[in-house]
Amino acid sequence: MKFLKSIKWRLQLWYGLILVVVLAGFGITAYQLDRNRQFRQIDEELHRRVGILANALHRPPMRGMNGNRPPPGQPPRTQNFDDPPPEDAPMGGQFGGDNRSGHNGRQLPAFSLLAQDGHLFAADDPHHFYYRIFNRDGNQVAISTNQPAQRSVNLDHEYQPGTRPSELSGKGNSPAKMVSFDNYREVNTQLPSEESITVGCSIAPELKDLRRTALSLLLVGGAVLLVGLAGGWWFVGRALRPVSEISATAVKISAGDLSQRINAAETESELGQLAAVLNSTFARLETAFAQQQQFAADAAHELRTPVTVILTQTQTALARERDAASYRQTVEACQRAAQRMRRLIESLLALARFDAGQEILRREPFDFSKTISDCAELVVTLADERGVKISVAAEPIEIIGDSERLAQVVTNLLTNAIQYNEPDGEVRVQLAASEGLAVLTVTDTGQGIAPEDLSRVFGRFFRADASRTGAGNAGLGLAICQAIVTAHGGTIEVVSELGVGTTFTIRLPVSG
Amino acid sequence: MRILIVEDEPDLLASLAQALREEGYAVDTADNGDDGLFNAEGTDYDAIVLDVMLPGLDGWEVLKRLRKTKKTPVLMLTARDQTRDRVKGLDTGADDYVVKPFDLEEVFARLRAIIRRSANKTTNVIEIGDVKIDTAARIVSLKNKPVELTAREYSLVEFLALHRGEVVTRTQLYEHLFDENEDSFSNLLDVHVSNVRKKLGAEFIVTRRGHGYCIE
Repeated sequence: MKFLKSIKWRLQLWYGLILVVVLAGFGITAYQLDRNRQFRQIDEELHRRVGILANALHRPPMRGMNGNRPPPGQPPRTQNFDDPPPEDAPMGGQFGGDNRSGHNGRQLPAFSLLAQDGHLFAADDPHHFYYRIFNRDGNQVAISTNQPAQRSVNLDHEYQPGTRPSELSGKGNSPAKMVSFDNYREVNTQLPSEESITVGCSIAPELKDLRRTALSLLLVGGAVLLVGLAGGWWFVGRALRPVSEISATAVKISAGDLSQRINAAETESELGQLAAVLNSTFARLETAFAQQQQFAADAAHELRTPVTVILTQTQTALARERDAASYRQTVEACQRAAQRMRRLIESLLALARFDAGQEILRREPFDFSKTISDCAELVVTLADERGVKISVAAEPIEIIGDSERLAQVVTNLLTNAIQYNEPDGEVRVQLAASEGLAVLTVTDTGQGIAPEDLSRVFGRFFRADASRTGAGNAGLGLAICQAIVTAHGGTIEVVSELGVGTTFTIRLPVSG
Repeated sequence: MRILIVEDEPDLLASLAQALREEGYAVDTADNGDDGLFNAEGTDYDAIVLDVMLPGLDGWEVLKRLRKTKKTPVLMLTARDQTRDRVKGLDTGADDYVVKPFDLEEVFARLRAIIRRSANKTTNVIEIGDVKIDTAARIVSLKNKPVELTAREYSLVEFLALHRGEVVTRTQLYEHLFDENEDSFSNLLDVHVSNVRKKLGAEFIVTRRGHGYCIE
């Protein structure tokens, strides 16, 4: 049942189910209302006739009235109760086809119908009203000729000797027992005088009517269901179209094409918003991926050059016999290349650890000014080589952190300040407390950094020179500095002016 | 054959220069783009080995500017092996490229190939009468017998053979056979020509008085 897992099919199924329940409820209610209405009408007719019969039963005999005589040429038919009508004869067939206006009952001596009431039991009435009257002893008082087939008449509900008239209430002919069987409906009433009057009629026209009603309800309901299902299918398909677009795009992206975006036309709907969210996720994913690829390519690029040095040096050396000095040169060149690779690998690993949050920093209080003067001493030799003067003005400030890592940052900044300085230039180092922060500034009088490069100096593999300015400088130093300072909860900033100099500012939280 | 190497990594530059010299090329070097372009524009090199990442002008810029004046075959050394880098190199006018890290053998073979192509030759073997020159193996044979030539003598024969039918001036020969560091004496060339004639036959190299030399 794979299709049951599809949202579209499931929605359609639920939708169809609810529609069927609603339509069925509606249809059944309409049918019942119609049925009740029709039966109420029939019952009213039956009750009316019971009343008339009851009146006729207790009216003094009115001899000589033409109306209650059968028309000439039509002898009144008699029927004994024990004498069932022929089974094959249709109910109406017991009346003469020409007996149109006269009443069909046979009058017993005590019973006669008024002429104006004769039409109530007319043979040509589609309902074929009929009656049976019994006295308290169960003897037949009067019976119309057009009784339905005997077998289907249930006489149990008629006169029951045990029934006390006092139990009957209301207008005297109630309570009435309503009975339906086959195509007939009868009402039986016991009069206070303990006669039992039963009036029945055929409800075939009503049943036919109800069947037609049911059929048309079914047809209309089915049509509504079909239209509803088709509309629902269309709507669900339309509503879910962005989903298939999203999934198609996601498939392409998972196949490696990160440039794919969902074509989200309707940004207002929930799915449109989802598409927008996904698109921005994809964009960030692509950027992150591109950065990662760039980083890997840069790292590989940085490793290629030292490997090339080792390969060409060794291949040249091995091409023929050489003297010891020549071999020594080759080995020294290889060593330099290997050192360079080691520095690069260490830098890459440090960055990777900071990125993954795995770099474990010590957290112990130390005097930052001491660290700074130590670092300044370390680079004095380099500064002397370049003819650069270093001045340090550091007030003692205790901070909490990893003194070795922070020393690495300071050394890196000082080395940069010396290397990118002019001959006879100056490097000023200052440490002061300000607003609860330890603020370190390293200012040089060097060539400065171009404004367009300023935002990238902390980027990986960035070189102000667009090319290496010396073996071993892979352009990772400032990126590592930033990672270390950030890990200490601090910030690092750079301000520079071409031809004037550059100032790096580090702000670190002070302990306590 | 005279070659210019432009490469900023000193250890790589040194070993490349040494290896190519030992292959019999005259080698000039430059360790930045500006010097490299200056040399390349001023001298008719047989080929230039050009690194992409250079201080000053980078390799692409050197190539672009050089192409305005010279058709010298250029072999790019690149540390980037992505297609767009290679396409960029070839489109800018590079004749070939080698991706770092490379094997020296590959650099040699590609250099031979671009030099051969620039001389409109398609094979490594040049046959001139009884003399056969295999530029890949750097072997010259006379009537199918290998002839011992010094590296300089071989370069002379190869250069004249690649320019067969043309008159090659003494200046051209000096430029292509000796690098900038050699203090070339004018009679050094005559000594090499005379030695080649002794080994391959007096008629192999023809002297055009007042013009230069020629292999017909």
